[in-house]
Amino acid sequence: MIKFESVTFIRPNGVIALKDINLEIEKNELVTIVGANGAGKTTLLKHMNGLLKPTKGRVLIDGVDTRKTSVASLSKKIGLVFQNPDHQLFSESVEAEIVFGLKNFGFDEREIKRRTEKILEFFGLKELRDRAPLTLSGGEKKRLCIAAVLAWDPDVLVLDEPTVGQDLQNRLKLYEVINELRRRGKGVIIVSHDIEFLWPLQARTIVMADGKILKDGPAYEVFMDRGLLKAARIRQPQLAELSTKLSLNFPFKGVEDAVERLLRGS
Amino acid sequence: MAYMLAEGLTFRYEDSPIHRRDPRAKLLLSICLFIVALSSNSVIHILIVFALISIPAMIANILKRMAKTLIFSLTFSVFIFVVNFAVGYDVIYSLTLALRFIAIVAAASLFFLTTSPDELEYVMRWMKLPRDFVFAFVTAVRFVPVLLLDLLQILDAQKSRGLEVERGGPVKRIKNLIPILIPLIVNALIRSGELAEAMEARGYGAVKRPTSLYVLSFDKWDVILSSLSVIGSVIFIYLSFLL
Repeated sequence: MIKFESVTFIRPNGVIALKDINLEIEKNELVTIVGANGAGKTTLLKHMNGLLKPTKGRVLIDGVDTRKTSVASLSKKIGLVFQNPDHQLFSESVEAEIVFGLKNFGFDEREIKRRTEKILEFFGLKELRDRAPLTLSGGEKKRLCIAAVLAWDPDVLVLDEPTVGQDLQNRLKLYEVINELRRRGKGVIIVSHDIEFLWPLQARTIVMADGKILKDGPAYEVFMDRGLLKAARIRQPQLAELSTKLSLNFPFKGVEDAVERLLRGS
Repeated sequence: MAYMLAEGLTFRYEDSPIHRRDPRAKLLLSICLFIVALSSNSVIHILIVFALISIPAMIANILKRMAKTLIFSLTFSVFIFVVNFAVGYDVIYSLTLALRFIAIVAAASLFFLTTSPDELEYVMRWMKLPRDFVFAFVTAVRFVPVLLLDLLQILDAQKSRGLEVERGGPVKRIKNLIPILIPLIVNALIRSGELAEAMEARGYGAVKRPTSLYVLSFDKWDVILSSLSVIGSVIFIYLSFLL
């Protein structure tokens, strides 16, 4: 479990990036975090595997204070995938890129082989295994970054802006990955500006602004609260907007849901 | 640590009597202090040089940031001391050399902490240096903080993949740098390619002698600062040979 206990984080230049954050996330939860630029979303994520340590308060991962353990041991449980693939890909081949993390976490030769095969298969990267990661397309790079983290099977996958620069096919693949992880009882935390991507997930949604949590609730509540969205400078997803305009008590959760209910005339 | 380094090297505009000076006057001041630092050959002289440097630094409100930069040159300075002492020079002489190095860095950083990359560009153009050269130099200066920010993000990403930079023997530690250096270099290359395209798209090189939005102008205060710099350093050097 991830637990923030009145966490405040002040940057070396004096800017307060997080203000008294209290938060509990179960290991099998799907959580999305939204907020304008500079709201503190990425800073929050970086506290989850100890890259940043709170100035005040504490962060507990399975009851262990992040200050008292290494980033590596926390990362084994909480797998963070950053926004820009070019900041992490360095190996001579796709396969080696996946092996890198597995070696760091000390898996034996046989296990490394088994896991690498499995993850290449799942992400459709088998044909690309000998390619240099830097020659891949933007979508393939992103997939590889996520694959490289999922290879060591963390309890929680944390994605920072996973849909930036991704085409439809890659977005659909992303939904597939999220659903598969959920089936296996894993947790997924997503930070994104892409509310249209988040809406169909209907996840627990945390709204951040100026280093604080404004609201923590289900997507259908958060995205139907127009006052809140305005305060957090977030647009309403189109289906939520349509539902608001139709004064629906229960918003459309997807296009299919909308069509079905409109046809039924309810 | 890298964050502090980035902080120390990045120019940040502040409104101070020193920042407002013509960049040529600031350059002259920095060069004078540089020469004075180079020519001083006793601990006391160097301490006086530090005092001289700290006056404009104080006025420009950059003392704290300059101190941060100097903390890093301290490592080299210790190295200079140890090497000189080891080859047989006495303690005082080795100390003088080590301190002189810090003074030289301080004199140079005074210019870079009070002069924006843009102003630097104007000075170089005023010197009639080739435009491509000026552009390459200014871009390199501008890239330093950008690269440092890249470095921080790369470090975060690789640490999250289980890389422990400070672990293992000397060979392992050097190997640990590979996952950091490769993305750093690749990003710099990608950036420079994008920059070249963006520049060309905006007409870089279309005319031989492009006009400039800002024109350098030397005012009364610039003259005073420049005269003070030159006269002061001549007196200092004269006295230091005399005493």
